[in-house]
Amino acid sequence: MLRKNKILIILNILIFVFLLLSLEIYASEKKKKEILPLPAPSFPKDNPITKEKIELGKKLFFDRRLSGDGTTSCASCHDPEKAFTDASEISLSYPTTRNLRNSPTLINIAYAKHLFWDGRAKSLEEQAEFPIMSPFEMNQNLDFVEEEIRIVPEYREAFKKIFGQDVNIKLIAKAIATFQRTLISQNAPIDRYLRGDKKALSEEAKRGFEIFKGKGKCIDCHYGAYLSDQKFHSLMVPENPKYADEEKFIVTRRYVAKINNYPDYMNIKEDLGRYFKTKKKEDYKAFKTPTLREVAKTSPYMHNGIFKSLDEVIDFFNKGGGEGNKILKPLNLTEEEKKSLKAFLVEALSGDDLSVKPPEIP
Amino acid sequence: MIKFFPYRYRDYARIAAEAAVAAWRQGKFKEMHELLLKNSPKLDRDSLINYAKELNLDIEKFIKAIDNLEGKDIIERDLKLAKELDLYVTPAFYINGIKVLGVRDHEFFKSIIIKEIESAKKK
Repeated sequence: MLRKNKILIILNILIFVFLLLSLEIYASEKKKKEILPLPAPSFPKDNPITKEKIELGKKLFFDRRLSGDGTTSCASCHDPEKAFTDASEISLSYPTTRNLRNSPTLINIAYAKHLFWDGRAKSLEEQAEFPIMSPFEMNQNLDFVEEEIRIVPEYREAFKKIFGQDVNIKLIAKAIATFQRTLISQNAPIDRYLRGDKKALSEEAKRGFEIFKGKGKCIDCHYGAYLSDQKFHSLMVPENPKYADEEKFIVTRRYVAKINNYPDYMNIKEDLGRYFKTKKKEDYKAFKTPTLREVAKTSPYMHNGIFKSLDEVIDFFNKGGGEGNKILKPLNLTEEEKKSLKAFLVEALSGDDLSVKPPEIP
Repeated sequence: MIKFFPYRYRDYARIAAEAAVAAWRQGKFKEMHELLLKNSPKLDRDSLINYAKELNLDIEKFIKAIDNLEGKDIIERDLKLAKELDLYVTPAFYINGIKVLGVRDHEFFKSIIIKEIESAKKK
């Protein structure tokens, strides 16, 4: 009898603990799914911010030496005049090649936990090397670019002063990353609104905000200060028909599949996104949830730029996403609701234009 | 208005620009331009001469022009201009001063042109 009671007490304790844990998880999930104002960005301990490093990073960001043929800089595809995108469906490419995906904005990139549409880099420092050496982007050799930068006295001096070391590719990446972390939305109405200025949004944008959090379910994936869950989802965005059968695009798609050890790379017909990296079933055709901050300035949309306008994007989600996706369901938004949602996205999430002028390159 | 910007790392870009200047001097720039785009990257000397024949150009004059780099001054002038404008990417376009870089579709140009027309109407 005593033993039975003991077991019952232990079971009750276990149930209680389980309930507590569930409540906590529920509460933290609930807490997560809020829209928050942008905090000051944090900088990694091994790459602290300094004024000189920002300036060096800015010069390198605009320096065409970083590309094999000297025609392309980071700013070519992340143009300050185009909200740090290149406004192309598929990003600009190394001459005679075709890129694979859309160039995302760098505004607020300091808050991103994963870089690239497939999240293959976990820091801006790690990210910076990829496009430099990509044959369809900057097509430069990393050892070679070190020498190209090292031979410039002004650069050599700056690296010595800032890092206490001679030029190397890791430091080049650190300087560029530091500059990129300074590209932050300024004075966005949503931030003013969330900090208490109730007049920061128009009545229509406020209605849109309610749809964003409610019927539109946007907040399910676009929450927090960065307006992204920082995860990957397979929404079955259609392939962009403009490029799907283009020879140069096929070459790039096969190449990406090949270097990611995809066995049947010769017959690949789709961009498999994060699956290329993880080979996990749930990552098949999954792409990163992009931030929605500054979204009005960063068309075209999705990983392949298939949607030219926010209206097209809203329609895509309203009909329940792409064919065969298991995540989204139709939203049944009315025309009026779609209009309000768009007003929120355009009005609330657009900060002042960042004025970044190309510096003088040594 | 079209400017010359032969890409420095392509074997035939420069001679193709010469061919376009030579055709222009015989009143067939547009036609040659179309042929060059259509047949790229087959832009070696023999191919260019064949295109000139296709356009019924004076072949003797054409060959002399491309072999003697008679378009050099025009091409160099345009390259200098590109450098001054900080242009490195081809194709590059200017529409009422708005810089457009890289391959773009019809819709992209259309939206800029419509915006420009609308803003001109307001003035």
